[in-house]
Amino acid sequence: MEAGPEPVAAEGGAANEHNKKMTVLVAVDDSEGSLYALSWALDNLFTPGGAAHASGKTAALGRLILLHAQQPLQHFMHPNLYSYLLSLLDNNQYITAVYATSSVIDSVRKAQEQNSRNLLQRAAQICTSKLVKAETVIVDGDPKDVICHVAEELQADLLVVGSRGLSKIRRIGGIAEANR
Amino acid sequence: MTAEVRKPAMVVGIDDSEHSFYALQWTLRRFFSTAGSPFQLVVVHSKPSLTSVVGLAGPGAADVLPFVDSDLKKIALLTIERAKDLCSAFAVGDIQYEILEGDPRNALCEAVEKHQAEILVVGSHGYGAIKRAVLGSVSDHCAHHAQCTVMIVKKPKPNN
Repeated sequence: MEAGPEPVAAEGGAANEHNKKMTVLVAVDDSEGSLYALSWALDNLFTPGGAAHASGKTAALGRLILLHAQQPLQHFMHPNLYSYLLSLLDNNQYITAVYATSSVIDSVRKAQEQNSRNLLQRAAQICTSKLVKAETVIVDGDPKDVICHVAEELQADLLVVGSRGLSKIRRIGGIAEANR
Repeated sequence: MTAEVRKPAMVVGIDDSEHSFYALQWTLRRFFSTAGSPFQLVVVHSKPSLTSVVGLAGPGAADVLPFVDSDLKKIALLTIERAKDLCSAFAVGDIQYEILEGDPRNALCEAVEKHQAEILVVGSHGYGAIKRAVLGSVSDHCAHHAQCTVMIVKKPKPNN
């Protein structure tokens, strides 16, 4: 007799761990590889029989989140000559360093934001065309850090990233700080 | 007349580490617990080669080799048995088990090619795991060299 302070499972009946919704975080950027990775995830995880799809109950479908990390403009643009010169001395990995006035920075930032929105819209459309609902998130910062932080915050079960080259890499979002 | 559609293979690489068994279990739970999984499961264990384990070339080394070899074989068989036990709890039909010789990095990539696998699953640490390493050398190698999607399953750290 199971009476007691058991939390009521949203799915009712069988609160079976096997049917637990899987949260899949897909990192998207401009590259072809990442949109391919998204399609791959949709085809392999969100189709009937797939890991993020429990047959029968639509309520038990996995959660798909699309993440785009926006590189902060400061890395590419400098509001004054001083920081521009410093960046030239600094042995960093950024190829472009431009001295720009604040109005230029503003318009570039706007363009960047529009670009991000378009990208996520395209990605969301791919999901819709495969009948999967997706949530979208844009975060500023270095993609490497952003992706890991968001994966942790959202308690992602699975992190999908595209890769350049021959192999496609898919990593599992860890719990706690296993995700580095 | 029904055509037999062969399901794409998912190769799971295991060694005798807890990380790799966690990876196998996670994969079974997430990908094989409902009927009609789209994948065919292949469990691969790479038995380290003699030379990788016995690095010495001093006198008496030759005598040690046969013992080490049979010991390695025993460990390999035990590992596969353990994997079979784990899989049987999930009632998945038609699982293939393989023991491969040699460096696990190459063995896993070869297994992928042999089975034309679509996904390779590895734990994040295994043989010779250095505690501070971000990723084990085998999973790191596979992530870059396997010709298919690579899924690296991380064992969550216990919350203290």
